[in-house]
Amino acid sequence: MTEPATVALDGTLDRATTTQGLWAALRSRVQFWVSLALLTVLAIIAAVPGVLAGLFGEGDPRACDLTASNRPPTSGHLFGTDVQGCDVLANVLFGARTSLFIGLATTAICLVVAVTLGTLAGYAGGWLDALIARTADVVLGFPFLLGAIIVLNTAPNRSPLLLAAVLAFFSWPTFARLIRSSVREVREREFVQASHALGLSQARVVLTHVLPNSLAPTLAIAATMVGGVIGAEATLTFLGVGLVPPSISWGVQLSTAQSYFQGAPHTVVFPSIFLTVTVISLIMLGDALRDALDPRGRT
Amino acid sequence: MRGLLKGVGATSVAFALVLTGCSSTEADGGEGSPAELVIGSSDPVPNLVPGRQSNAFGLTMSVFSPLTFLDAEGELSYVAAESVESDDQITWTITLRDGWTFHDGTPVTAQDYVDSWNTVAYGPNAFENSGQLAVIAGYADLNPAEGEPATDELSGLAVIDDLTFSVTLNRADSQFPVQLSQAQTAFYPMPQSAFQDLDAYGKQPIGNGPFAVTTRWTEGEPIVAERYQDYAGDEPTVDKITWVPYSDRLTAYTDALAGNVDIVRLPANRMTQVADDFEDDHIYSFSGPAISYLSFPYWDARFDDVRVRQAISMAIDRDAINEALFGDLNAPATAWTPSIMPGNPDGICGEYCEYDPEAAAALLAQAGGFEGELTIHFPGGAGQDDLFNAIANYLRQNLGVDAIARPSVGWAEFSEDRNNKVLDGPFFARWGALYPSQQSTLRAVFTSAAGCTNCGGVIIPEVEQALNDADASDSEDGEAYAAAQQHLAEGFPVVPLFEESYNFVTSDKVAELTASAVGEPLLTDVILAGD
Repeated sequence: MTEPATVALDGTLDRATTTQGLWAALRSRVQFWVSLALLTVLAIIAAVPGVLAGLFGEGDPRACDLTASNRPPTSGHLFGTDVQGCDVLANVLFGARTSLFIGLATTAICLVVAVTLGTLAGYAGGWLDALIARTADVVLGFPFLLGAIIVLNTAPNRSPLLLAAVLAFFSWPTFARLIRSSVREVREREFVQASHALGLSQARVVLTHVLPNSLAPTLAIAATMVGGVIGAEATLTFLGVGLVPPSISWGVQLSTAQSYFQGAPHTVVFPSIFLTVTVISLIMLGDALRDALDPRGRT
Repeated sequence: MRGLLKGVGATSVAFALVLTGCSSTEADGGEGSPAELVIGSSDPVPNLVPGRQSNAFGLTMSVFSPLTFLDAEGELSYVAAESVESDDQITWTITLRDGWTFHDGTPVTAQDYVDSWNTVAYGPNAFENSGQLAVIAGYADLNPAEGEPATDELSGLAVIDDLTFSVTLNRADSQFPVQLSQAQTAFYPMPQSAFQDLDAYGKQPIGNGPFAVTTRWTEGEPIVAERYQDYAGDEPTVDKITWVPYSDRLTAYTDALAGNVDIVRLPANRMTQVADDFEDDHIYSFSGPAISYLSFPYWDARFDDVRVRQAISMAIDRDAINEALFGDLNAPATAWTPSIMPGNPDGICGEYCEYDPEAAAALLAQAGGFEGELTIHFPGGAGQDDLFNAIANYLRQNLGVDAIARPSVGWAEFSEDRNNKVLDGPFFARWGALYPSQQSTLRAVFTSAAGCTNCGGVIIPEVEQALNDADASDSEDGEAYAAAQQHLAEGFPVVPLFEESYNFVTSDKVAELTASAVGEPLLTDVILAGD
């Protein structure tokens, strides 16, 4: 690493960590606006799925007519019907709510746990650091899919919240490690030492100086993670250990449709499109945030 | 890189040469080439002792010959027995045909039958099919509720001479000759060598049938049986049968599409698609003696009113489910036993088995409605999700109840919760009879000595009485059992759903598949293409 690069990096970091600098870096990116637009649409869908589905025909995802099973798209059912004769469009729109809920809830749980533990470990150091870091390693060492399948298989009642909790349990260590390392880095900076010298309490130093300056890289990854979690929910449900009807989610739809793929491909295609677009837009948002916050990752 | 590719090319040429070499030798010996059949089976095989097997019917029925045989029309004929006779329906005399031998060369004697049945019935052996012998006098002594049995012989069995023995039953049972037919494998004979080491025998059974198992079976490996040259019965049409194990039915089905196996069972989730995948004459649907029910937790007071149960039955459109989910391969049930059973009172369920959403809703309202959530329980992982979600949809839309379908984690959890009366809503029940008589299903589901615990709803004493009366009557047309179903129609303890068909697909090698009365194809009678 050469001297000028370090200088430039420091300069950008200082600019980006202020709200104004972040906004300036973001608004010039097409990627940011595209993903934001897609996510806004998704948020609207998740807020009022029934109304939107009603505009295109059947607004109730549970109004099913078995005699019209696996019909291809027609005017009343824009995306066709599934094996139970339920409207695929209505199910896809209602599924957005569940998927976004699981994505956001998992990430929120994860962040709370990771920020607490990561900051403790990074700032306090010593035996506490060792304990938290080893615990994180143990959880991280457990294969995610295997762990989730075992836990969910023994759960009697698989609700979206339970699924979110399980997913969060297996994902927090990555965040905790990230926060721990940036806290350790920030802890040694001059302004933190200056705060100590001014006689500020430990809690105040952490909350007002250390944390705000260490969260930036985590935020970018959190956005990407929401997408990953939505994909993970679909995967687990597809494998038969995630959500079950009457829950409505894209994973449930795909899991049901897999047996009928050859005869009724539309039952697989439409939920897949929504799932893919959602995950891609969240990853794009994450990328845009990361680029703006940390130019080192730019390519 | 280039050198590597050359090497690969050379190897594949050599490999191709080997292959051609191989096939030309085979073609040379083609004149007397054996007629071979490969069967894909996805059911785990724990043990091949006929008294223990529960899902290797095809194999057991090829390696052993039954005393009596029921064909697809329900006609009874004798195979290993010359006659099965009784004057009072209690004491039966079984005369064996002369000249039959086991695959190890020893003659089949009356003593072998008696010893085999004693072994199967002996409680501490805990053989899975032991219950099939429960009708024989002395069975209770071999299976005391507590402790070791005092004797190891059924008091009801007596050897008269080498080829004759008598069987005394607990009570009069006109269906006894039918119970000796092919699928009741507990009644098959085992040679004296079997009793020394039953575990070894379970790996390589020695039977009296047209096919002999050639090698000791190991888990995960194919089982091979070849024609037994000294078989005294009718000659089989094939020379060799191989059962190839698969981890699931879908893989076996795909392999049948590729022509790697000749006969496989049709997986439930391919029922609507099979007509596109296979030609018509390679799809076989045999009406089986199996029926499915929606049972009720009789320990839950919400289901006490008969009108609630009838309303639930009327709210389900069986025809639509059959068409959308089963590809019309099953049949809506109209009685409490399948119509294949002799003398079955078809349509005895009447209007309550016909779809009528308005009448169903009115009936439920009359009964005072339904409180709370209605959870339908079914064993998960068995491909039944679509069926029970459809039923839940019907109940929710037609009756306005908050109905959901919940799969259990697996079969074990489901049966445990059912046996312990933990289930809090209607649940899946099914009975596949081993011999086509209403007696088999009715006794197993609706009596206090149920083979399927808690499956038949609340026990109606009149049903058991009517069954005993029918058993004692010497009519052979089965109509005597219809009286028992009349009580079921009045009490409506469970909802009859579907008569199940047993479905198979075959490769081009198979020209015709015939079934016996139990819906299982007769592997000894398969007609191969080009013969």
